[in-house]
This record gives sequence, C-alpha cells and structure tokens, in this order.
Amino acid sequence: MSTVIVIGEVDGSNVKDVSQQVAAVAAGMGDVVGIIMGKNISEPAMKLATSKIVIVDDDSLENYDPVKFTSIVSQVVEQTGATKVLMGATTMGKDLGPRLAADLDWGYLGDCLEAGNDGFVRPNFAGKVLAKSNPSDPVVVSIRNNAYPAGESWSGTVENFKGDIPNSSLTTTSIEKIGAGTVELTEASIVVSGGRGLESSENYDEHIRPLANAMGAAAGASRAIVDAGWVPHSQQVGQTGKTVTPDLYIAIGISGAIQHL
Amino acid sequence: MNIVVLVKMVPDTESRLEIVDGKVNESGFKYMVNPYDEFAVEQAVQFKEAGGGKVTLVALFSNETSIDTDLRKMMAIGADEAIVLRQEDYRGDRPSSNAKVLSNAIKEINADLIIGGVQGIDYYQGATGPMVAHMLGIPHISGVTNLELNGDKFTAKRQIEGGLQVIECSSPVLITCQKDMTKVRFPALKDIMMSKRKPFENREVSVDESNDVQTDECSLPPARAGGMIIEGDSAEEKVTKLIEKLKTEAKVL
Repeated sequence: MSTVIVIGEVDGSNVKDVSQQVAAVAAGMGDVVGIIMGKNISEPAMKLATSKIVIVDDDSLENYDPVKFTSIVSQVVEQTGATKVLMGATTMGKDLGPRLAADLDWGYLGDCLEAGNDGFVRPNFAGKVLAKSNPSDPVVVSIRNNAYPAGESWSGTVENFKGDIPNSSLTTTSIEKIGAGTVELTEASIVVSGGRGLESSENYDEHIRPLANAMGAAAGASRAIVDAGWVPHSQQVGQTGKTVTPDLYIAIGISGAIQHL
Repeated sequence: MNIVVLVKMVPDTESRLEIVDGKVNESGFKYMVNPYDEFAVEQAVQFKEAGGGKVTLVALFSNETSIDTDLRKMMAIGADEAIVLRQEDYRGDRPSSNAKVLSNAIKEINADLIIGGVQGIDYYQGATGPMVAHMLGIPHISGVTNLELNGDKFTAKRQIEGGLQVIECSSPVLITCQKDMTKVRFPALKDIMMSKRKPFENREVSVDESNDVQTDECSLPPARAGGMIIEGDSAEEKVTKLIEKLKTEAKVL
C-alpha cells in the first residue's frame, strides 16, 4: 500500500476539524502518516485521526513559516516514501501546498472540493467550472473545509520528528486579532451576508451588522460591495473571498451568484 | 530597489464558459491582466517612487495572442520595462512548469523584491508565486493585505484564520498581494504617452518538463434544486413563518 501524509493543524487544545476531514479522506487512500508542526502542540496533536502521527514540537515553529514547514514535510516524505501529501485548504495549506510541491517536484491540486480514490475535483473560473483529475504520479493536495465528515481520533503510534529544522529569514512579530467580539466568518454556524441590493453602505451597517449580532452570526459581503468599498475584503464571501461553511446562510440583496447559494 | 512584478494574462470575466467534449472551449476568450497582479504593479511603483529603483514586468503567455496594450497600461502606472516570455501551447493551469520558466528568466535580474497577485482568476491555485520563490531559493509571503518597507526591511500583514499575521523579512523575498493591499491608480495622459516608449522585450521560450496535474474532464456545476418562497400578507407574517421553518424543518436555529 502506498503511504499518504496528512498535514494537520492545531487550534487551541484540538486538531482543526478540516484536518480531521482530510485524515478521513486519506484513510481510504493508503497507510496514513499525520504530521503536526508547531510549538507546544504535542498534546492536541495526538488527537489527529491517523494511525501514525509525527509530532514536530519546537519553539521555532510557533508560527507558520513556509520555508521551515516545507523542509520538514519534505524530510518526512523522504523518510516514509509517501506518494501523496494532503492538507486542509486553510491559509496555511494554500500557502504551503504549492511550495512543497515545488520542493518535491510533484503535482499540485489546490482547494479541492472532492478528493478520493476516484480522483480530485477543483473549481476553476470562480467555481463556474469544475475540473476533475486523477493523477497517477505523486501529488500535493489541499482540500476545502466541510468537503467531508471528520475522522474520529483514535490511539495510533506517535513519534517525534527526526530531522533538521532550517532557518528562515521570515519572522512573525505578532498576530493581530481583528474584529474582536465578532464571529469569524470561516468558523461561523450562521452567516448573514449583504450585497448590492442594499443600495448603500449605511444600509449594510444599519441592517446586516445588527442582524448578525442579534443572531450570533458572522457578517459577510458579496464581492460587489467589497469592490465598492462598503466593507473590507476580510468580510468577502465567495471564490475570491472566504469559504464559509455555516448551517444557515442568509443572503440579503445578493443576486444568485453560485458562491452564495 | 530592483523589483520584478509577475503578471499573468487571464480570460476576462465576461468570457463565456462552454464545455465541449469535457474541455472548456477557450476559442472565444479575450485576455486581460489578472486583477490581483495590478495591485502588485501599483505597490511596486509606489516603492520605486518612494525609494528609487526599477520595476520590471515579467509575463509568460502564448505566442499567438497580443499582450502589448495590456502591459503598456501597467507601464503607464509606472513600471519601467516588460519582458514577455512567449510560449507555443502556453497553458495557465501548469503552475509548476510555468514557475520554472518564470524563475529562470527572473534569476538574471537579481531582484530585491518579486511581487505578484495572490492567485489568477482563471484557475485559482495560488501556486505560481510560492513555487517561483522556492525555485529561486527565497522565502515568500502570500495573500498580503499590507506591505511596508522601512530601510531594507519589509513588514507584511497577511490574513489568517481569526487574525492578521505580521511578518518581517529582509530582501530578497517574494510577496503575493490580496485585494486590500493598494488602490490601483488611473494613469495620467502624460504617463500613458510615455509608456509607449518604454522597453518591451519578447522572448521565445519552450515548455519546461514538470509533474503538473492534467485535467481529465471539465464540467459545469450541477444546477441547484428550486428554493421555497414563503407567502404571507405582511412582512411580520412571512418572518414568523420563516423562523418557524428554520426552527422546526431546517433545525438551524
């Protein structure tokens, strides 16, 4: 059986749900080796739903760094003889995936909607076209959140990474929290979005934001009103904005663009 | 500062997307500069205006389709010269092969900063930038919403889940731009006239071998099932019915 590597991510004391989804997808593809990189992540990392977990816990890995993370994963690929690397299409996954593919000289498929033994489906042209492929050569893949049910964590074998962590000239000086007190769009279970039909940014502030607050929801926006400068890009939902996965999506003043359906 | 801007030509957003035999029919496509790359041009020109230097546009594109007018617009914004790598059978969905060709051309420029859009609005992989950086052996920061230069140190802000990651680095570095980074200027008539005299080089290049994944089949997304329209005599009545349905039928409230 071929070996598949899953790059997991930790959020607080848990493994991110998207990482568990990717682990579940990988389980059908071969022997799965999970990797989790970070600082003080050993405890939560053990929850990753893979039969083997490689933990890379180091002070120098407090924040994601493409140079360090690419090198570590490449070393584990070499140590395990893996032929696929899967990860969530998070801000880290979408950044790390292509660099890793370049380092390994493998193919890359980003932000996949479907993944499995039958192949991969990813969106082209703002999601207006779906492109299917089934590469037989080694490939790096990032998979969109909520594409699959999460895998259940179980007790697999855990080992510490044996290899080198390179230096990088990038230094993360801080993580600025934005919109304190508001709900993060990508994680919200309810999203209220507004579009051009609202007619003005005042109407957005008077109607969409209070409704979102009242419902404990995140406030989103269509591309049209982000382009018009009513709201910052960080609130844009859709292909060129954020991928949201709520249970309830309320679209107000938005015509039927596919991302908002 | 020596700056290279990576420019991709993409089908314009009005292009009709039609599938013939499992492939997108590209015969009627018109091409434009990828909007994210325009932010990169603007940011590069702002750095040049503040601290001097040169801005070179590097594009890889088909040898059959015209690109001159589009790149002259970027030069009117303030880019100094353009190098267009012309390729037979160019495809925009071969990030690895394209990154090899681009990085080979960029190597000899000795850029302090390489900057481009976060993704193309054709295939949305966001792959070429990080790949070029890796091939040049330099770090990259993707999806940057704010980039500042103090002395020889860059400070980039990049949106991550729940916050902004603030990253410092020295040159050389490759940056990809997210939408909020800059506002692209409208060039003055004088600059448009000037742009016509700026150096513009076409270079024939071949396709580099790569392990890019080939698409087997394209399709249009399935049409959605019809929705439900809630009837009622007043807005209050309709909202009451809606909330009832969300609670009892959809069970999302």
